[in-house]
Amino acid sequence: MNIYLPIAEMSVNAALLLGLGGAVGFLSGLFGVGGGFLLTPLLIFLGVPTSVAVGTGSMQILASSVSGAMAQYRRNNVDVKMGMVLVAGGVVGSFIGVSLMRILRQMGQFELFVSLCYVTFLGAVGALMLIESVGSIQRQRSGQPVPTRQTGQHSWVHGLPFKMRFHRSKLYISAVPPAMIGAFVGFMAAIMGVGGGFVMVPAMIYLLRVPTSVVIGTSLFQIVFVMAVTTLLQAIENKSVDVVLALILIVGGVVGAQFGAAAGGKLKGEQLRFMLAALVLLVCLRIAWDLMVTPAEIFSIGPLIGGGL
Amino acid sequence: MMRSAIIGVMACLWLALNMVQASAQEAEASPPPNLPPPTVVTPPLPPMETVEADISTRSLEVTTGFTGHEIVVFGAIDNSQAPKDDAGSYYDVVVVVEGTPFPIVARRKSEVGGVWMNTSSITFNSVPSYYAIASSKPIEEIAGPAVLERHAIGFRHIKMMPAGNSGAGLKDSQLAAFRSAVIRLKQRKDLYVLEPEGVDFVGRSLFRSTIALPANIPVGPLVARTYLFRDGEVVSAHIARVTLHRAGIERLVHNFAFVYPASYGLIAVIIAVLSGLLASVLFRRKTA
Repeated sequence: MNIYLPIAEMSVNAALLLGLGGAVGFLSGLFGVGGGFLLTPLLIFLGVPTSVAVGTGSMQILASSVSGAMAQYRRNNVDVKMGMVLVAGGVVGSFIGVSLMRILRQMGQFELFVSLCYVTFLGAVGALMLIESVGSIQRQRSGQPVPTRQTGQHSWVHGLPFKMRFHRSKLYISAVPPAMIGAFVGFMAAIMGVGGGFVMVPAMIYLLRVPTSVVIGTSLFQIVFVMAVTTLLQAIENKSVDVVLALILIVGGVVGAQFGAAAGGKLKGEQLRFMLAALVLLVCLRIAWDLMVTPAEIFSIGPLIGGGL
Repeated sequence: MMRSAIIGVMACLWLALNMVQASAQEAEASPPPNLPPPTVVTPPLPPMETVEADISTRSLEVTTGFTGHEIVVFGAIDNSQAPKDDAGSYYDVVVVVEGTPFPIVARRKSEVGGVWMNTSSITFNSVPSYYAIASSKPIEEIAGPAVLERHAIGFRHIKMMPAGNSGAGLKDSQLAAFRSAVIRLKQRKDLYVLEPEGVDFVGRSLFRSTIALPANIPVGPLVARTYLFRDGEVVSAHIARVTLHRAGIERLVHNFAFVYPASYGLIAVIIAVLSGLLASVLFRRKTA
C-alpha cells in the first residue's frame, strides 16, 4: 500500500517504511542505542529529501527516547541539574545547527555537509568502539581481569570556572564542559538527525567522570528535551518535519525495539559492542563510498529555497 | 465502462457540432437574390478545420492515497477533410500538457580533493513542473523546428531562462548542458513525458490521448494545449485545463505545516511524546 507523504511530497510503500522503522527499532533495542544514525541515512537512500530525513528523524528519536527517559527518572537515575546544563547547551547548539542547515541548503552544500559529518563521527566512534570491544574480548579469552575505571582523577576539565555542585553525580565541576558537550550534541542532532547518545555517553564518562549509573538516564533526559526543541525549530525554520512519515516509523520502531531488547539479553556486552561497531563502520563506509565514487549523474535539480543565493 | 462512456460523449458532441456547422453552410450557400450571377464558377473553398478538445476530468485530488492518475485528452476535428475512417493520413494532432512553471536550481558536481561536491549552479526562472507531449507521430516528422519553437512544443523548445545574473560566467555549451540535465532529470522522475504515438484517431475526426500523471506530480493547474497540424503547419489549436489540488489529510497536514509552522511543530512534539508514552504503557502491560 502506497502512502503519499505530505512534507516529503513523495509516494512511498507504507509496509516498507514500517519494516524500516521496525528494523531500526530492533537494532536500537538490541544495542541500546537511539538508532538515529541508521534511520536518517536509510531514509536518504530511500529517496526522502535529506532535510526531511533529518527533521523527521528528530521527531522519531523524541518518541523513542521519552519512555526510556521516564523509566530512568522513576528509578532516580537522572542527574536533573546536570541534565539542565546539558539541555541549556543543547538548545543553543540545536538553534545554531538548524540555522546553519538553512544556509547550507540555500548554498546546495547541505547533503555534502551531512555526509561529511556522518563519515567523521561514525568513523571515529566506530573505530574506537571496535578497538575497545576487540581488546576486551581478547582479554576475556586470555583470562586477564578487565581493568576498572579509576575514579578521583583530576583532568584539565576541573580547572575551569563557573563551578557547580552536581549532587546526584557526586561532582563539583565547572558548568562549562557539560554545557559545551550539550551544545555539541544539540548541533549534531539538528544537522544529522541523531540523538547524539553515542557522543554524549562517552564524553560524560571519560571527560566529566559522571558515575555510569546516572549517565544513561541523564543523557536520555537531555535527548528528550533537545529533540523536542529541535523538532520545533526544524518545523519552523526548514519545514522539514513530516508527521505522517514519523508516525509510521514510530509504530514500526516501537514494535521492533521490543524484539531487539529481548534478543539483546541473550548476547554478551562485548559481542554486542563489537557488532554495533561493525554496523557503525559499515554505515560510515557506505556514505564515504557515495561521496568518493564518480556519480552516475553529476547534475541535480532542486527547488529554489527562500531568497536564493 | 469509463472508456466507452467517454467515446460516446465524444461522438454525441461531434454529431451535434456537425449539425450546427451543416446548417451554417446551408445559410451561406443561398446567394442574395439581387446580385448578378457570377461569370466564373469557382468551386467553393472548404471551410477551415478547427480543433476542439477537453480533458476527462476537470479537477483531481491529491490525497494521502494518491498514486498518480491517468487523464484522457479527447477532441474532434471540425470540418475534417480527411477520407472516411482515416484522419491520421491527413492530419496530425499534438497534445501538450504543461504544469505551473516554478523557479528551480540546477547544480553540477565535480571532484574536489577526492570528494564529489556541488561546484556550480544555475537558477532557472520558470521551468514547467510537468510537461507531457503526446502526438500522432514523432513531432520532428510533423513540423519543422521553427513551427515547434513558435508553439513551445517539444523538450528542446521548453522556455527555460536563467534568472538574473545566474549562470553569467557560463559558456553557451555549459548552459546547454544544464538545460539538458534538467530535462533528463525531470524525465527520469516521469515529470517530462514524451509519447510519440500517444494520440489515436477514431474515425475521420475524433482523437484521444491517454496521459499518465505520476504520483510525484506537483500540485497546481495543468494546461492541455491541443494542436491540429496539416502539412507541417498549425491549422488550429485549443486549450483545456485540469487542476490538481491537495485534499484530505494530505492537504490538512501540508497547509498546516506551511501556514502555521510553530503550531505544527508543537503538535509534532506532542504527538511524538504521546505515542512514545502510549507505546511504553502498551508494552509494559503485555510483558507484565
